[in-house]
Amino acid sequence: MKLNNHDLLTKETSSSILNHWVLAISCLLLCLSGVGFLFKVQAIGSLFGGFPMMRDIHNWLGVVFAISLLLSLGNWLKECITFGYNDIEWCLAAGGYLGKLWKKKAPPMHKLNTGQKAFYLCLLIFGFGIILSGAGIWLMPNHQAVMVWSVIIHNICFILIGIFLPIHIYLSTLGNPGTLQIMTSGTVPVWWARKKSQQWVEEVEEGRSH
Amino acid sequence: MGKKSILIIPERCTGCRACQVACKQWNDLPARKTSFTGSFNSPTDLTSVNFNRINFTEVPSEKDPIRWLFVSQRCMHCTDAGCMKICSTPGALTRNEEGAVVTDHEKCSGCHLCIAGCPFNVPRYGKDGKLAKCTMCADRIPKGMAPACVHTCPPQALTFGDRDELIASARKMGYPVIYGQMDLGGLGTMIAFKDAPSLYGFADKPHINQAIIFWHKFLKPASWLGIGGMTALMALHYFGIGPKTEKEEPEEEKCLCQVPVPTKEEGKHETQ
Repeated sequence: MKLNNHDLLTKETSSSILNHWVLAISCLLLCLSGVGFLFKVQAIGSLFGGFPMMRDIHNWLGVVFAISLLLSLGNWLKECITFGYNDIEWCLAAGGYLGKLWKKKAPPMHKLNTGQKAFYLCLLIFGFGIILSGAGIWLMPNHQAVMVWSVIIHNICFILIGIFLPIHIYLSTLGNPGTLQIMTSGTVPVWWARKKSQQWVEEVEEGRSH
Repeated sequence: MGKKSILIIPERCTGCRACQVACKQWNDLPARKTSFTGSFNSPTDLTSVNFNRINFTEVPSEKDPIRWLFVSQRCMHCTDAGCMKICSTPGALTRNEEGAVVTDHEKCSGCHLCIAGCPFNVPRYGKDGKLAKCTMCADRIPKGMAPACVHTCPPQALTFGDRDELIASARKMGYPVIYGQMDLGGLGTMIAFKDAPSLYGFADKPHINQAIIFWHKFLKPASWLGIGGMTALMALHYFGIGPKTEKEEPEEEKCLCQVPVPTKEEGKHETQ
């Protein structure tokens, strides 16, 4: 099947788009309220209806985040643990993002590039780290050792997610015009997909993928 | 107003527990049934309705078969307070002008973190899930009154006043360095021990859990660095290098006929 430049390819289904946004919104609200607790920001506390209320919201949003992170495994795990030689090339080319500073071009990739895969794996590891340590803080308040180590792990995971999150948000909006529609309509035009996910487009054309 | 402190002199204590009663009365705390556990301790631990208690310890002695030691136990009102470091809610734990660490029942979010931060195992949570502890009678001392426990203490084992004056008076009584004079930036509750504090059930060198200090000193600032630094880098990329905009390459032949003709680009792929 030959694809025309302006044909639309379905990259994400409506269920994975919903999954993404529940994960994203809960994650951002958790980050915001978490910063409120970490630095005792009165304004953030007021936004959530006071600190005692914010604590309940933070805890239950954590449950929402945990469930959607579990469900996301079915959507993205397989793709994200499949690596090839082109992943090394992609890293050596810095994804082709450095413009004139580093002129190497990114190699043809499958549905997701190395950076996207790495982001998902980070979110999985540190996401479950932050969920488990959060559960420790929430559910074992009278166990001092659990409390102390949970606070430390919770904060370390937040720092690491906080490092990757701005990259993900920037490169999926401003840094890569056209990317955001993957998570709105779920479709991308063929000509654009060829630039970003050439291997995948070829597989679609050969009928081996969809 | 200068820093106020409580000085406990265990040598004078008779173990009458009037301080416990006075505390309950002033703070309007309910009575709770206790049970006999084989020692004189009653209650056996601080609770959300027992802000202070006398700790009775029995230690072996060379002269007598046993030595019986009494000491009043309550919040130590540390200058370098672990509970305030770790607390997640503004206003739940504050320091008043007299130097006492005061709780605000309404503001406490009930996260229990202060328990992990306290070097003296003082914070307790009530059935309502809120922190309850000694406030050095923060509703009495600004009015010039001594805390209820000090006010009632018959043998004057508890004394209250200007911190420096208390330290000077303890020195006159023959205690060169009292417990809490230097520890944790200076405690608001000082004890004139004649023996090792551990004999009375106190840590010889009280300290905040190292993990909490590490978290407070390094992880908290690193949280800003991580998320803020990366956002700044992204902004730098946007304005410095610029976004990676993909341009559509024109298809060489517009497909007007029925049979699709492969474009140059497509043809290239087939040979790959």
